[in-house]
Amino acid sequence: MRFTTIDEELTVTKFKKAIEREIEGYFEGMGFNLIEPRIFQKYDEYVNSEHKQDSTKTVKVLSGNSRIFILRPDITINVLAEIFSKWDGEPPLKVYYNSTVYQNRPGGKILENHQMGIEYLGAEIPRGDIEALDMASNIMASIGRPYIIELGSSKYLDSYLDEMKLVGPERAELKDLIAKKNRHGLRSKLRELKIDGSILENILDMQGHMEEVIEMAKKYEMNKDMGLALEKLTKIKDYFVDKEVYENIRLDLSMVPNLDYYDGIVFKGYCLGNSTRILSGGRYDKLTEEFGLKVSAIGFMIDMDQITSIRMGEKSNG
Amino acid sequence: MDRITIAIAKGRLGDEGLSLFNNSDMEIVRDKDSRKLVFSDAGGGTKYIFVKPSDVVTYVEKGVADLGIVGKDIMLEEDKDVYEILDLNYGKCRFAIAGFRNSYNKKKDGVLRIASKYPNYVQSIFENRNQRIEIIKLNGSVELAPLIDLSDVIVDIVETGNTLRDNGLEVLEELDYISARLIANKASYRFKYQIIKKIEKILDVSR
Repeated sequence: MRFTTIDEELTVTKFKKAIEREIEGYFEGMGFNLIEPRIFQKYDEYVNSEHKQDSTKTVKVLSGNSRIFILRPDITINVLAEIFSKWDGEPPLKVYYNSTVYQNRPGGKILENHQMGIEYLGAEIPRGDIEALDMASNIMASIGRPYIIELGSSKYLDSYLDEMKLVGPERAELKDLIAKKNRHGLRSKLRELKIDGSILENILDMQGHMEEVIEMAKKYEMNKDMGLALEKLTKIKDYFVDKEVYENIRLDLSMVPNLDYYDGIVFKGYCLGNSTRILSGGRYDKLTEEFGLKVSAIGFMIDMDQITSIRMGEKSNG
Repeated sequence: MDRITIAIAKGRLGDEGLSLFNNSDMEIVRDKDSRKLVFSDAGGGTKYIFVKPSDVVTYVEKGVADLGIVGKDIMLEEDKDVYEILDLNYGKCRFAIAGFRNSYNKKKDGVLRIASKYPNYVQSIFENRNQRIEIIKLNGSVELAPLIDLSDVIVDIVETGNTLRDNGLEVLEELDYISARLIANKASYRFKYQIIKKIEKILDVSR
């Protein structure tokens, strides 16, 4: 954010700090402890890791002995590296962060994005999912505007693609078409691969209220893992169905997360009047394996810059 | 009904897109010569804004428009974070590499000079080819570039190929298929899902 006067700057900063304290208080009340990610990461390690984002977007720093470091582009992976060097999987671990990520932007600008979020490691699966979703929806509700939680399951789609032995570029292309909700593109690709008439033909219609989408999905033949994914979603539905937030949840089985390490539920929070998601998260058990220990893991992050500007706007309006 | 805003590319592509709404309750009456940039339908539920084709994607990504009608060429060039929900099946053409016959092959060892209105797209096409390139960004009359030796080849959209032929050029390689698309902002897609579904039905003439 840029300010024209110092008064404005101090007012906004104070307001933002109050929101941070509120969320910190909430996280701590739910049993989460603060963890501080490292700011510098080794460039070599980053480019060699499996789950890097576009490495040209990372902000590089040269140390005194000419080693290259990057400013953390992501918090989850950063925090996991820290945790798994000291934690052996027991008992369950609940941490939260309040931190900034850095990214190169066109025109030589560096984007600083302030994020808060949680990582919940070692919890039983339906319970961890439900707890994280519950917290995410409470935070969305606290903004005071109509909101929607978009919920999906990367497992559902992935299990199908696994069964059809779709790998490499074909799999990536199909997922990209589904991610873009590109119905015609998907249809012609399916024809090309001779799997038209399959469940993928209808995947883009599998979105709406949890109950109706689960019913719809059950009508299609599926393998064991797809069934398991639906079973987990059903448990989540059963928990939320009488809660107020249920009306704000939209299940979308065609949701494709933009980070490939998610392997279970994924979710995003949208707020009416804002053009991008302000909250996002999901389950990433698979990722923990790379740190030498496979545990259940779920987390989400909140875009603090966006939340602050929305709540500032609400305040000045009313 | 929710209010919805649709960004339409100014020009032929947009006009044709707008005509797809005829005979629906979202139809608008517009004087073709009008300079007005904002129109609403009779019920006031739909607002159309008319913008430069290359800006349609930006309006939609930023959420000032919920939906947009734009050519796939712009989508490939701009790489913005929006849903591409429908192929509107008109404005069909192709991206192609064009030039004089043999102008492509003989450059294999040197730097191939490519004139185009779509520099990002050209970059992406040549990324994994073993060919060094220089991109010359032009804003129009791209076909002129090889004629005056500004470039070896061009990358542009080709509909009938008439302009190329009239200038002694030919298609050397066909690239992506292009047509008009309906795109949507990701947040709007969630909040206005029902009405967007309805618009999809109106526009999906292929069914």
